[in-house]
Amino acid sequence: MTISRTFRLPPLVAGILAAALQTAVIGYMVESRASILRSGADIRLKTAPVDPRDLLRGDYVTLSYPISTIPSSIVTGKPPQASGVARLSVRLEPGADGLWTATEASFSTLPAQEGSVVLRTLPFHYYSPGEDSLPDNLFVTYGLERYYVPEGEGRVLEDARNAEELEVEARVSRDGTPQIARLILRGEPVYDEPLY
Amino acid sequence: MYRGRLERDLRQWTAQGLIDAPTAGRLLAEYDSRPSSFSLGRVLMIIAALLVSAAVLLLVAANWEFIPRILRLVGIVGLIWSAYLAGAMLLMRGFERLAAAFLVLGTLSFGGAIALVGQMYHLSGDTFQAMLVWFAGAVVAAALFRSGSVTAIVGFLAFAVAGMNWFGPSGADEAVLLWLMPLLAVIVILLVRYTDAPRVRHLAYLLLVAWLAFIYGENETPQTAIAIAALGAVAYLAAAVPQSPLQALARSAGAAPAFYSYLVLLLGLFVLHAEFDTVGDRLILGIVTLAGAVAGIALSGKENGAVRYLGYAAFAAETLYLASETIGSIIGTSGFFLVAGLVMALIAWAVIVLERRFSKAESRLEA
Repeated sequence: MTISRTFRLPPLVAGILAAALQTAVIGYMVESRASILRSGADIRLKTAPVDPRDLLRGDYVTLSYPISTIPSSIVTGKPPQASGVARLSVRLEPGADGLWTATEASFSTLPAQEGSVVLRTLPFHYYSPGEDSLPDNLFVTYGLERYYVPEGEGRVLEDARNAEELEVEARVSRDGTPQIARLILRGEPVYDEPLY
Repeated sequence: MYRGRLERDLRQWTAQGLIDAPTAGRLLAEYDSRPSSFSLGRVLMIIAALLVSAAVLLLVAANWEFIPRILRLVGIVGLIWSAYLAGAMLLMRGFERLAAAFLVLGTLSFGGAIALVGQMYHLSGDTFQAMLVWFAGAVVAAALFRSGSVTAIVGFLAFAVAGMNWFGPSGADEAVLLWLMPLLAVIVILLVRYTDAPRVRHLAYLLLVAWLAFIYGENETPQTAIAIAALGAVAYLAAAVPQSPLQALARSAGAAPAFYSYLVLLLGLFVLHAEFDTVGDRLILGIVTLAGAVAGIALSGKENGAVRYLGYAAFAAETLYLASETIGSIIGTSGFFLVAGLVMALIAWAVIVLERRFSKAESRLEA
């Protein structure tokens, strides 16, 4: 296995290709999220009652939601036969207070319905208690569980979250991917999210 | 390292009149001019690039409101472009070492850009995918520029990807995750050969050893340990036996393939010691281990110092272990130390005999 040492792409071509490709990847990542913010369906969620830090992305506030706990009573359709990686489709409907709650969940895809929005959970490890039965509660995540804040500004939001005064407005794409659009503190929007 | 030994040998040969002083000087100068030889300038330049990259990554992490985030995004993409283009310009002018630093900066900035997107859109639960995208971008950059330094970054990112796979929720299929680590290692080895970055090879081999340890951790059974030891034995024989068709390929990668496969064999045997609990099983295992140690010393002892020392260490440890397991239980603890001392003397004698045989074989070869 000897490759000729003389062969080498012209460096300028290599440079432009590498930079263009990586820019395209970053552009795709940005646009895939901005498009949800631009045209996704609006939902509003209550956050339930940590200042952690991600090495690369900085300080964030951990958010958890009532819709992160799915009681087995609202799960329709067949559960998986064996333990393994699974995803749920969760139907959300708005309540009288403007907050959306989970009304139906399924391991298969849920059809779209007027007045409701279907979310896809992130894959999670499902431990089957036995054939055709479900654990009492399923704990799921949606990719909405972190809100990155400028260094040192997480404390105010955490206090509000712990006092249950923090709400999240999210937009949901057609395939069920949610995207945080706005954080609402005591009814007032904070950190409005621009598209880019 | 090698340069120190070379200089010492050349001085000795000059003193003995085997070569003249100008030849010794020319030989040393030839070695120093090779691109793979140590250059303080290059090392310091790469360290500078790593520091600047760390500054960029931390600036992203700080989420500093003073700079609007769209400006941050444009800035970091601009940094990627300038780093790669500057690297390309320097390569064209022949400044290979300075260029390597810029390529490293560009590749690490790409990771910063990925982190920035995650921060901008508050993504969570996607760390594994983010690391995988960074890894793929680095692979492409290393291949396009044929850059050994970027290949080193790829080697470390492979570990990061594998680590996220273990510890983070990843969401990919478990069968895929199981084969991910060897796949990463193969990609790194191919890049090592293509970009001529032999030192990065160790990262790939370590990744494979870690993968086997991970598999054993998932299925802690004697069967797994036997399979790992057998795999190590087969790989070692393929790399070390002169009749093996793979030996030429393994040799072209230096001492590493034989050493790491031998290490896997010994690690497999080592965990088997914890799996087997009857005296009979352990005795058989002990004999297999001793045979493995002697085989390693005999097959690779002469040209592969790393395998030789690993073989000596395994031989000594196993002999002591056997002495404590069987003989020691009979004559009591105080007798054990006496036996261990005698055994040690026997090992020393065996090593001396082996060493003498090697040097005899060598002089016979020269005669």
